[in-house]
Amino acid sequence: MSTGEQALTVSAGAKTRPRKAATRRQKQERLVAVGFLAPFMLLLLIFQYVPLLVMARNSFYDYSLLNPAAEKFVGLRNFADMIEYDDAGRSFGITFLFAFGVVVFVIPIAFAIALFLNSKLPARGLVRTMIMLPVVTSSVVIATMWSFLLDPSNGLINGALDIVGIARQPFLTSTTQALPSLIAMTLWQQVGFGAILFLAGLQGVPSELGEAARIDGATRWQVLWNITIPLLSRTTLFVVVIMTVFSLQAFAPAFLMTQGGPQEATNLIVYHIYNTAFIMQQAGYASALSVVLLLVVLAISMVQMALLRSRWNY
Amino acid sequence: MKIYSIVFASLLGATALGATGANAQSTPACTGETVTLRILRTPGNYPYPKPMEAWQKENPCVKFDVNEVPFPQLADTISVQAASSNPPDIIVYDGPNTQSYAAAGILLPITKYLPKGWDDDILPATKAEHSYNGEVYSPGIEQTTVAMYYNKKLVEAAGVKPPQTLAEAWTWPQALEAFKKCQQGPAGAATVWGLGPTRFGNGQPGLVYQDLIYQRSAGDPKAAPTSSAYKTFWAFAPDGKTAEGYLNTPEAVEALKFYQSMFNAEGVAPKVGIPNAFFDAKACFYIDTPAAGNALIKDPKIEWGITPLPYFKTPVVHTGSTTFGATARSKHPEIAAKFVVDMSWGEYAYMNVSQRGNLPTLKSLFSRFDVYNKYPMKVFVDQLQSWGQPRPPGPKFAQYDKIVSEALRGVAFGGNPAELMADAEKKVQRILDR
Repeated sequence: MSTGEQALTVSAGAKTRPRKAATRRQKQERLVAVGFLAPFMLLLLIFQYVPLLVMARNSFYDYSLLNPAAEKFVGLRNFADMIEYDDAGRSFGITFLFAFGVVVFVIPIAFAIALFLNSKLPARGLVRTMIMLPVVTSSVVIATMWSFLLDPSNGLINGALDIVGIARQPFLTSTTQALPSLIAMTLWQQVGFGAILFLAGLQGVPSELGEAARIDGATRWQVLWNITIPLLSRTTLFVVVIMTVFSLQAFAPAFLMTQGGPQEATNLIVYHIYNTAFIMQQAGYASALSVVLLLVVLAISMVQMALLRSRWNY
Repeated sequence: MKIYSIVFASLLGATALGATGANAQSTPACTGETVTLRILRTPGNYPYPKPMEAWQKENPCVKFDVNEVPFPQLADTISVQAASSNPPDIIVYDGPNTQSYAAAGILLPITKYLPKGWDDDILPATKAEHSYNGEVYSPGIEQTTVAMYYNKKLVEAAGVKPPQTLAEAWTWPQALEAFKKCQQGPAGAATVWGLGPTRFGNGQPGLVYQDLIYQRSAGDPKAAPTSSAYKTFWAFAPDGKTAEGYLNTPEAVEALKFYQSMFNAEGVAPKVGIPNAFFDAKACFYIDTPAAGNALIKDPKIEWGITPLPYFKTPVVHTGSTTFGATARSKHPEIAAKFVVDMSWGEYAYMNVSQRGNLPTLKSLFSRFDVYNKYPMKVFVDQLQSWGQPRPPGPKFAQYDKIVSEALRGVAFGGNPAELMADAEKKVQRILDR
């Protein structure tokens, strides 16, 4: 019987036993726990859940932030508009593409960096610092820096391309290159976070399993493929979910670097919501978009959790 | 004992001196109830301290509580604060938003507070921009417009002689030739650009204020109202009900093809911002407001001149500046309106305008600004009076501005002008239909 099964048996047995009355010490500990949790829960309730309810309610109204008192109940019109007009579908599509691009590249690169950091190779400290710097740097600074790097006329990247004889690229001013450019920037920014998470996972993998496999004649690649990666499935799930949610909520790159352009090629959904509420003054429609985004993020996270559910434990 | 006496005497003396100073600077005492006017403005913007202090001497019962937000956050802040239970009494805002704020009930109509003679003295473009449904909502203080600055050394070295009067103004194809002659380095990656990038926003092209002028100047306001030439000039239905047929016209598309070529085929203008490009001699020509000229007068980093803005068929420049108004939900609407009107009339208006150096909105003040009576800054006054038009006004200006700016930027970046303008028309219509 595996450890996991034993644990399951123990917990199932525990359910059948009558509940013991809590001791005075346990009651005190619970009170302390509630005391510590209460302020945060209160803040969460006021600043997260109540606004969510207000947002859900507002999604059935048509109003402008300039004059919210003149709101009109429009039923499902805001949701119907998402189907009738192509802005929502297009923006969601671009956002999914962005999230897909980020996740697909972050996972293997972050994993490779984590393997390097977990090894005994030289310069690990330097690499760790290098990959963590973008994570802790302000998004505004990163966006400004990348805007200069990607300048279509005199940017550093175009300068380098020029030296090797490649024609200058328009990057952020091109409808086909703007989104990949934002993906590359986000990848550079987030890969360090993914690597640190993978590193934590790697350091929790029991070394005996790998050593036993090596004694049995397995190659390093076989150990990695058949032992390390499967045992890291929980970490992988966490990184995938976190990166997906981060990417679906990305705002700064579109706001600071492209304003959603050119021709809406980088009109990420959160930027579109901001734009709809604050510039277009359609706060009801923006609320409806937010409700749909919330449901989409929830659905994607649930699907990811179902597909990547851990089959191994240690 | 002696030391204590000296210290005591010094303190007494200092107190007496302080009291004398306070008396000398004090304003007349308030005999009634004190009113505090809350002002929301951008940093370095009017109403300025000097005229405010002078006004307070005449109105000793009024105090001010000034809050400042950077210009890029101004519209968002107004959106949030105007709807709050305690909105500011006076807001400084971008002039073309007047009709949006008036329609939303944010601004107080001030027509009845305006002094005699205001109608004759105010610039027509300012009055049009600040009025809605027959009421004036802001008297305006300053007015701006754009003209084309040039770097004398670079331009002369290229053998180009820009015109200095409106009568000799270039057409855009003539201007393009000058840009090409003066530019240094390869097209699209110049070391000195023919036409420098804007300093507004993030420096990218497409702003309605500066770039809608290209297509509007390809129109004709004297043509039949049903003609595409007429619609091209106005770029929005005069009744504010539609943009369809006003942006995607044959004349506009032709002008936009030319506009697009400057950033692409001809490569004389950059697609992204270059901070201080003109002031660092990295651009021969540069489009900006009088603020740039005033900065160069104070600190002449380069030798410079001004040429009127080029055009295709009809010369036109956009007007508009930040302005201010009293809020409809102010707790002291009468005093707020009085303050706003007083600050924009007579000596107070002169004090405010002279602080920053933009153009006044009152024609009577022009003669008091020497700098605007002679070349180069006179070009601004002449343009304003002969060519000035507000940006297409309407209660949905902010939305129109965003949609059309994005379309223009798309054109500059290489998009299809007809498709982008048709799309912009649809988007504007969707907003208008809501």
